[in-house]
Amino acid sequence: MSKNITQALNIRGALRRKRSVMKVAAIATAVATVAVLSACSSGGSGSGSTSAAAGNATKGSITWWASPITTSGADPRTVLISDFEKKYPNIHVKLISAPNDTDTNRATLTTQISGGGGPDVFMGDVIWPAQFGAHQLAVPLSKYLPKSYWDTFANGLVAGATYNGEVYGAPFFEDQGFLYYRKDLLAANNMKVPTTWEELVSDAKTIQAKGQVKYGYVFQGANYEGATCNFMEFLGDAGGTVLNSKADASTLDSAAATKALTFEQSLVTSGVSPQASSTFQETQSMNAFSAGDALFLRNWDYAYSTSQASGSAVIGKVGVAPMPNFQGQPTPGYSNIGGWNLYVNPHSKNVAADLTFIKWMTGKDAQTTLATKFSEIPTNAAVRSSSAVKNANPVLAIVSQTKLIARPAQTPNYPEVSQAIYSNVNGVLAGSLTPQQAIQKASSQINTAVKNGGL
Amino acid sequence: MTSTHVAAPARSGGPHLGERRKKDVYRRTMARLGWGFSAPALLVIAAVTIFPIMFSVVMSFSNVNVLGSGFQIDGFTLDNYSIVLTNSTWQYALVFTIGYTVITVIVEIILGTLIALVLERLVGGRGWMMAMLLIPWSLITVISATLWDYIYDPIAGVATQILSVLGFGHPVILGSPASAIIAMMIADIWKTTPFVAIIVLAGLVMLPRDVYEAAEIDGANGWKTFWRVTVPLLRPTIALAVLFRVLQAFGVFDLPFVLTQGGPQNATTSLAILGYRAMFTDLKFGPGAAVATTTALLVVLGCLLFLRVFRSQVSETEM
Amino acid sequence: MSSRRTTGGRIGLIISSILVVIFVMAPIYWMLATSLKTTAGVAAAPPQWFPIPISVENYVTAFTQYDFGQYILNSLIVAIASTVLVLAFGTFAGYALGRLPMRGRFTIMVLLLIISVFPAIALIAPLYLLMRNLGWLNSYQALIVPYTALNLPFAIWILRNYFIGVPKEMEETARIDGAGPFRTVWQVVLPMTLPGLFTAGIFAFTACWTEFLMALSFNSADAFRTIPVGIALFGNAHITPYGTIFAASAVAVVPIAILVLIFRRSVVSGLTSGAVKG
Repeated sequence: MSKNITQALNIRGALRRKRSVMKVAAIATAVATVAVLSACSSGGSGSGSTSAAAGNATKGSITWWASPITTSGADPRTVLISDFEKKYPNIHVKLISAPNDTDTNRATLTTQISGGGGPDVFMGDVIWPAQFGAHQLAVPLSKYLPKSYWDTFANGLVAGATYNGEVYGAPFFEDQGFLYYRKDLLAANNMKVPTTWEELVSDAKTIQAKGQVKYGYVFQGANYEGATCNFMEFLGDAGGTVLNSKADASTLDSAAATKALTFEQSLVTSGVSPQASSTFQETQSMNAFSAGDALFLRNWDYAYSTSQASGSAVIGKVGVAPMPNFQGQPTPGYSNIGGWNLYVNPHSKNVAADLTFIKWMTGKDAQTTLATKFSEIPTNAAVRSSSAVKNANPVLAIVSQTKLIARPAQTPNYPEVSQAIYSNVNGVLAGSLTPQQAIQKASSQINTAVKNGGL
Repeated sequence: MTSTHVAAPARSGGPHLGERRKKDVYRRTMARLGWGFSAPALLVIAAVTIFPIMFSVVMSFSNVNVLGSGFQIDGFTLDNYSIVLTNSTWQYALVFTIGYTVITVIVEIILGTLIALVLERLVGGRGWMMAMLLIPWSLITVISATLWDYIYDPIAGVATQILSVLGFGHPVILGSPASAIIAMMIADIWKTTPFVAIIVLAGLVMLPRDVYEAAEIDGANGWKTFWRVTVPLLRPTIALAVLFRVLQAFGVFDLPFVLTQGGPQNATTSLAILGYRAMFTDLKFGPGAAVATTTALLVVLGCLLFLRVFRSQVSETEM
Repeated sequence: MSSRRTTGGRIGLIISSILVVIFVMAPIYWMLATSLKTTAGVAAAPPQWFPIPISVENYVTAFTQYDFGQYILNSLIVAIASTVLVLAFGTFAGYALGRLPMRGRFTIMVLLLIISVFPAIALIAPLYLLMRNLGWLNSYQALIVPYTALNLPFAIWILRNYFIGVPKEMEETARIDGAGPFRTVWQVVLPMTLPGLFTAGIFAFTACWTEFLMALSFNSADAFRTIPVGIALFGNAHITPYGTIFAASAVAVVPIAILVLIFRRSVVSGLTSGAVKG
């Protein structure tokens, strides 16, 4: 009997030992986890600020993370890389094609950079500098590049890439909102290109009433970043702002904002814009215009070449103009700034080579190629105003005439600010909020966001 | 309380001791064998998931700042949880995710079982039908979402076209909360009903024939047989399907991400979307980890409750 | 089921089969049709029911403008390897947890549940850290190992369920005949649970085939990209090329369809023989 008990105890002991082994393993894992985590946090607060860039400025191998710029024909990324390597034969640039969705891009870059890896240079959205700067996910380029370099850019672009006095991104190519119109229809109705919103609405109503076109004005009002871009244009036209100069409080709750949003709503309720505007992104609005169903289109600079591509129903019928403003305001109206900057990864081992690459990409040759061969708006001021570029296509010709407004991206909490704006604007367009309600909600959500509250 | 499978049952009193000892030794050997058999699987799982899960849980209890140099984690705080639990969007997301899960899983179970029944009766062509069933399931979730995005497109979408032909005017399917939610559910149901159908079918086919033959002899007709015989025998299979569908549905992400980006006005913001937004859009890993951990806890609690109800069916040889 | 088939029953069966086919295949037809439309056709409003004119330009674009062939190869390697590992480890673990007298079986099953339930989004950043420290970034194992680990819990649950359903007499007969436990599992129990293997296998394969976030974060190098990541590169920030995306995914479905068709015979025979023996 005792033997059995011993055996039973042995079994229980073995199991207890097994369980205690597991317990020890669990504790060990926990200890290891804590050790790793503390190692992570004690790694210092980002790359140390050195006045001279590390690495070799003319030799090395770097990786460039960039999402596709065009969808057909030659790839500007590979063209520019090969041109660069001809100039700097000892620097090899490897292209890593990034996903198109800017949010997915940011997610991957954050994962990689915070994990100690990631590409050397990455092409990122213009609204990232504050967020990336605050989280030290990008190198403050102004530490290495002098003021003379930053002065080569067109007005306003460097300011948009600045956070806390440091410039985090080099503007690579720019984008903005334009008013595209059907010049054949305007001509047929003896109308000139509208310079005010009121004119645009009345032109649209007239031509729609005649049945010559389905929609008057198509834009982007879906529940995404693009809706913020569109709204900023209306807001600027009405004289409103989103944040105060310190970017720590909302200034959105104003008569101007209500006026802007009310007007945007009226476009849909009056039938000038389709009811589906609350689900329109660039694709839908572009398709409607290219199919010949819309009189006016607000879209980025790519829309011109897309509207003239084969398969489009409006080839030769499209003109482009700056955005209109409200009556009584100085024309033109505001265009929202889009586009892409080049950033440097704090973990890059060859910052010097990265800077060489960036300087070349923002220099005369690359910018001219981007503009003339690929129809992108250059950020280099000299290139932008050169006649070669201006004659390249109708969009580039009027870039100097537009008035720009940036999104309120000076705060690291910009994504939440933007969400506050676009989800409430979208609510108005979908008919579930009044403009007053939307502005008030957005304003209070923005206040929560900039105070770092909220999810 | 462990049931033992012994080749020779203990017989008479005398060699009782020896028999029991043999049983014990046998059981211990079998137990050790069991650990040996499961070791590779458990080790791989532990190696890959323990560190990330613990990392995430620790993050949810601290002030986290994601920096280029790594995660800056300091202090123990319940702030993340209080931010999450008091956040109205999170509260909505919780209700929405639970409701979404319940509705889609119920519909899928019903539809899936019906499809499995149809397939089970087919003799010829069952293989082809099964292959066909797997196609929606094999679509990449983001692609399936993109397909439905195109189907629901307000201008070029076929669903919009069908609805307007049926007299609904110019519906903007994804534009208003109610229709967006229903549209999302339809897309999800379409994609995952085959999953349920296949599980149920495999379960159906493994049912012992003699039960049916006995029922037939007793004169039971089709429907009665189904409810009184098939369903009870199918309970463990269906329970398994429900369990895993619930797990997946609770984490619904791709559909709202592609179709509505969580809108309109956060109507389709699921817990997973909220977690993603907190972590990767707002770069707030502390609250994001809190969302993830609470989600996991909720699902586990739900599943444990479910298992307790179906315990006898699902795990037959338990203590 | 009953071998009697009334005419009404047969008609009902045919109608329901047709309904099932329509339910499943209608969106698939739409996807295929769209993939064969021209760009203008894709944007057409109201939508074209048939792709007229038929054009394969989307397929051409998918393979020439994007390195889609490489993506397919990578996905195949990763998915097949992970599935094989999942089935190999999962079979023995499922058998052990279903049949062998281990203490704490239920605890382990619950732990597996908890692990499979944890939102993958929260795991990506720490997993990336792990992968980076192991030097596994941009490799096949960077995906194979996590995929195996994350698909094992579900596979173990399924397989365990099927093992429990196997009558114990078969194993006891084998044991009496002198077969060791390994052979018992391999030659006796396994053939009877083929449907379970098939189920677990196809789900593991599909999960690996369609996983996106990890594939994107760990394997950003073009040589190791998988299909979901590759498709995310189609178009650009403003243009979603539905036609090309659907063309690519139509092609991506083919390997799975082939696999299923290949194994369809063994599955069907496994299913029917299981029923007869049962």
